[in-house]
Amino acid sequence: MADTAPLAGIRVIDLGWLTAGAASSTLLLDLGAEVIKIEGPGALDPFRDWTGADGGTDWWNRSPFYNFTNRGKRSVCLDLKDPRGQAVILRLLESADVLVENFRRGILDDFGLSPRLLREKFPRLIIASISSQGMDGPDRDMVSFGSTLEATGGLAALTGPSDGEALITGRNINYPDQVVCLFASGAIVSALARRDQTGEGAHLDLSQRELTSFLLGEELIAEAAGLASKRMANASVDDLEEMVVQQDGKWLACSINCEVPVRDGTALAASPEFNAGTAILHDPDGTPAKGIPFRFASRPLKILSGCAELGADNLDVLTKADLSLEEIAALQDNGILAKAPRRGPAR
Amino acid sequence: MTAPFQGKRVLDLSAFAKQKPHAIATAMASKILASLGAEVHRPLPPQGDPFDDWGPFLPDGQSALARFLLVGRTDSAAIAWQNDANFDAAIGDTACVMNIQARFRLRISVFGTGEDPPMTELGLLALSGVLDAVRAKDGTPYRLAGHQAAYAAGLAAFTTVAAGLRSRCVDLADVSLFDVNCWLNWKAAATVVLFGSAAAQRDREQRSDWRTMQARDGYVALVYMNKDWPALRDLIGDPRLLEPRFATQKSRGEHMQDLNMIMSEWFAQRTRSEITAAAQARRIPIGPVLSPSELLQNPQYKARRFMMPDGTPRIPILWDGVAEPWKTAEGALNG
Repeated sequence: MADTAPLAGIRVIDLGWLTAGAASSTLLLDLGAEVIKIEGPGALDPFRDWTGADGGTDWWNRSPFYNFTNRGKRSVCLDLKDPRGQAVILRLLESADVLVENFRRGILDDFGLSPRLLREKFPRLIIASISSQGMDGPDRDMVSFGSTLEATGGLAALTGPSDGEALITGRNINYPDQVVCLFASGAIVSALARRDQTGEGAHLDLSQRELTSFLLGEELIAEAAGLASKRMANASVDDLEEMVVQQDGKWLACSINCEVPVRDGTALAASPEFNAGTAILHDPDGTPAKGIPFRFASRPLKILSGCAELGADNLDVLTKADLSLEEIAALQDNGILAKAPRRGPAR
Repeated sequence: MTAPFQGKRVLDLSAFAKQKPHAIATAMASKILASLGAEVHRPLPPQGDPFDDWGPFLPDGQSALARFLLVGRTDSAAIAWQNDANFDAAIGDTACVMNIQARFRLRISVFGTGEDPPMTELGLLALSGVLDAVRAKDGTPYRLAGHQAAYAAGLAAFTTVAAGLRSRCVDLADVSLFDVNCWLNWKAAATVVLFGSAAAQRDREQRSDWRTMQARDGYVALVYMNKDWPALRDLIGDPRLLEPRFATQKSRGEHMQDLNMIMSEWFAQRTRSEITAAAQARRIPIGPVLSPSELLQNPQYKARRFMMPDGTPRIPILWDGVAEPWKTAEGALNG
């Protein structure tokens, strides 16, 4: 039976790191695309570094959060800093539909892969650049993690006690890194829909800071009309009685018709709704894996495969791009194509 | 220039949703689809538009939420939407969507596949553990501002419907408000599932090293990875930070209170822009907490034409450098 997934037949080259880039590509995979993740032997996805990694092992294949996020992707380990590696990725892009990247601005240009050049060379390609500030503007080179953007995007200023400090979600959520995946994947699907009609690709410039502010649109409109926005603690603009209270040492969120516990990770993981839900699923080996935030009645909700080891698909992907076995062997001999990083685990 | 969903007819049933999070998520998804060229119809119930009653309210009495979410809809007064079998997609809560004929139907519910107990956005943030991550110094959990719980589900709904429209499939899809919020908060649950509750507890104790710090003129977000510590330590330049108890991430976690006390003196003496400039020069990802009024004047946003004069932000996608290039012939004028 033909694959009827919405993105069946779509090939994604994934240069995405951590959550914002990598998990956007994972959502495309969940919609049926083939995703080929490319990392360099000297430039691994930083998610591969993890506390507890033993330098005597293939630690790079064992990072729980990396494997959780990147399940189901094919893996190629190719040095994009080397012109020979750059020539290979250009070959791979010939048959690709989408390129996802969230490098620091300018890195893609350093690889000889500037969006302008790629648009000229591959007019049907959708290039999704996910960045903290966008491709241009005076803050273009500002270094940020997700929670930095909660501050610079306006969310922190409105979050927290009305007479106390502004708050951020922090390390565990890095909210702008999460929501951008839900949005960027839709933007990419939309660009593919447009290409279906026009034959034209596009370079999508997706700023996480702008998305953070966009998700406060009504507050910005109110502010521009002269109403000063402020922190409202746990109340909402339509229900000033909403609050979080402590009872017998436990926090409860109280609204009209709805009183529920404030769960921590342990309570969440133990809850029946969570276990019946889709936020964490399991790969065919039973390993917990990043879940899927949507379901289609016509398709089973499942993770089709686990995380590939670094470079596991080097040979297959390059052969299918018509590189000869001799060319591939030369790349391996020169360390351009690899199955292990050039360094030990981060300390 | 052709828009992605030009010619696609989408039914936005946000005005009929029985619960507010469902209504707001539906409207967010539909807003984005409308901006991408879909012909979005949004019928109203006889009693009027519930969004008109939801704040914040502008000086003219109009709802800022309605103004933000409902632009770009087609006037639906004239169409018999209930019997119209020519919609490419319909979005709404279970009761609405199950009675509609459309090729692709997306229903938004609390727990997925139509399970819908009474639920608020505060409740969703609490149940999914998002609230637990946002804590003040005294330990009280706080909601994320605005409508994040519903908007995040709206983004997931947008992506799902975009996929349905592109593939022209006949299907019924589900987006669960609870699942989406848990998906955002995956690391808390994954830490427990992968490493156990004890590890999650340790993680919790060390996690507050990302926080806001009081500056002379407001707050900054103090955000740094282990690799940034030497640069941060040297930036602050207090000899106490060289003590062995602050040498590793683990030991800093164990002495978090003292660490924050020492650092807070440095932050309190400087303005947000002084702190940000000094940190950015060392590539430490610290940034200022900016208010909406400051964002309206923000040079980055002005350079990228991110907001209209009335504060409305554009959809945060530029296509080859241009916002919604299909809207005007010149395109670039439409930033």
